[in-house]
Amino acid sequence: MKVLIVNNMAPFVWGGAEELATHLKRNLLAHGHTADVLRIPFQWQPVPKIPTQMLLVRGIELENVDRVIGLQFPAYLIRHPQKTLWVLHQYRQAYDLYDAGHTDLEEVDGLRALIKSADEETFAECRQIFTNSEVTRRRLSHYNSVEAQVLMPPVNDPELFYEAPAEGYIFAGGRVNNMKRQRLLLEAFAMTTGRAKLVIAGPAEDESYAADLRTTIDRMGIADRVTLDIRFLPRGVYADYVRKASAVAYVPFDEDSLGYVAMEGVTARKPLLTTADSGGVLGLARDRETGWVAAPTAAALAEAMTSVFEDPARARTYGQAANELWRSMDISWPDTVSRLLR
Amino acid sequence: MKIALCSTQMPFVLGGARQIVEWLDEELRRVGHQVEMVWLPQVDTPELLFRQMMAYRWIDLSAADRIICFRPQAHLIRHRHKILWFIHHIRVFYDLWDTEYRNFPDDVKHQGIRQALHAADTAGLREAKTVFTNSKVVSDRLTSFNGVDSKILYPPVAQPERFQFNRLGDEIVCICRIEDHKRQDLLIEALAHTKTPVRLRICGASSNDFYVWELRRRVRELGLTHRIQIDHRWISEEEKTGLLADCLAAAYMPFDEDSYGYPTIEACHSHKPILTTLDSGGVMELVQDGVNGFAAEPTPQGVALAMDALFADRTRTREMGDNARRRLDELSISWSHVLNSILA
Repeated sequence: MKVLIVNNMAPFVWGGAEELATHLKRNLLAHGHTADVLRIPFQWQPVPKIPTQMLLVRGIELENVDRVIGLQFPAYLIRHPQKTLWVLHQYRQAYDLYDAGHTDLEEVDGLRALIKSADEETFAECRQIFTNSEVTRRRLSHYNSVEAQVLMPPVNDPELFYEAPAEGYIFAGGRVNNMKRQRLLLEAFAMTTGRAKLVIAGPAEDESYAADLRTTIDRMGIADRVTLDIRFLPRGVYADYVRKASAVAYVPFDEDSLGYVAMEGVTARKPLLTTADSGGVLGLARDRETGWVAAPTAAALAEAMTSVFEDPARARTYGQAANELWRSMDISWPDTVSRLLR
Repeated sequence: MKIALCSTQMPFVLGGARQIVEWLDEELRRVGHQVEMVWLPQVDTPELLFRQMMAYRWIDLSAADRIICFRPQAHLIRHRHKILWFIHHIRVFYDLWDTEYRNFPDDVKHQGIRQALHAADTAGLREAKTVFTNSKVVSDRLTSFNGVDSKILYPPVAQPERFQFNRLGDEIVCICRIEDHKRQDLLIEALAHTKTPVRLRICGASSNDFYVWELRRRVRELGLTHRIQIDHRWISEEEKTGLLADCLAAAYMPFDEDSYGYPTIEACHSHKPILTTLDSGGVMELVQDGVNGFAAEPTPQGVALAMDALFADRTRTREMGDNARRRLDELSISWSHVLNSILA
């Protein structure tokens, strides 16, 4: 089957959605299909240009394609008689962020209604609709009365995440920003004592946040116990950090999905360390079962960090349990591909 | 610099027009630019042209410092610094209007579409800071149909240093898709008329199995199986460089193509002369008869004469191969020239 994956292109920006599309293509090819990714340029700003960019997508003609898998608004508006959606994002400013007051859509009259009706027209055209998380599924149900199925994205390269002996550090990977709260981790870590180490590594979207982390480390006098590796890490380097960690810490605020950082950690049998308000991550992190779920305060997190090193055997047991929980979810590429093409 | 390379394609169809974009992408990255390739679908059905045109007009690539556009209708994308490397029109509305390729009537409706398309193309072309083309033929068409001036910027091949001279063998190789407009049949017919024991090797994938079957049948019929080898498949780049390094000469004789074709310059980089025909079109911009190859009459007898000459006078063949390499410099066919032109 000739399968075309359709998603947005934010010119010169490469992120999680692009990675997912690339790996979906790779796995479709591995299953004997012909596959490619169509990336349609899209800019969220200026807001008054959103309607023409939606029309642009509707104006595109597709021939020689058996099946479309659409990932994002507005790229998923593309016309095709055999279209399945795997919704990573609706345009949240028209939905939950609008309700929360975080929207700039009011610059253009009727834009919110336009987006909603375009979404609903597209949803009605589809063979099947999946979302990448329970949160997104609920939003579709709540705002568009569409009952989608959750299809969580698998780990893209599970073969990299095998277990290696722990080398006595907590690893916090992924993008470095305000929402991922690496600063909270540092404050907590400063309250711990002993030889334990913390490694924070990943690309910074906001240089000032990264600078703030550096000052925090100096101010708290923990430079000898913290490694800050701020950059886009080659995949092998990232996986190596995960493999040798004693635990994986991931403390985003109210994440939609399980989170790749958590999924990759448990693939490598690492216990998870998170906070009670981390949202989707709690699907994998269970307190004193697969890791530690602390209150979102430095003191509570510090206590959890201490217990990682207090009893290494226990930490390993949690890691095993985390891995078993993950495997019981049965989230794999072969299954994902066959569900998407059903 | 942030540079977007914009072109169009039919999904899942790998045409030669992809390579010029992908290779430029590689070269620009090599010298440190940020590059984004924007590939969009394009269907040439007359009724759908204008709806798609609107889509192209609405694309927002303002994040790029400049954009370089290739196939239609990518040339209609708006940008404050647009450069075109124009490789062809939607030809049924231009030079192919009065040919069998036009699969719709010459009526008022389609004349109207043609007129509107010409006007839109001309307007889009005029927005560009510079218009480059890949050949003289395309530049001439831009002048005559759109009144737009352009410069020829000959497209190089990827990593040309891969191609090298090894020896002068006794085999003429023809490495390109096996299609009837590439006229491998003429090569086979010609070989039957040769007087020397020169050999022929034809390599390439084909969209037309029947044509390949016919070629094979003809080889048997002419009793040439021991002198002609047909490799009906997409050969690897390593095989290609090896064959060119060891061959006597390279044959490329498409019927009236716009540009010189990559097989031609691959031969030049390997210091091998090119065997073509007078009616090959763009190939004639590069081949000088008797200097860096032969431009034969497009008949079996004409091509056979050239084949024998290549085989018989090896000193001259060797010289012509060196001249072929030199010709690339005369025409400034190199990535450094392309980058200088495009980044100016």
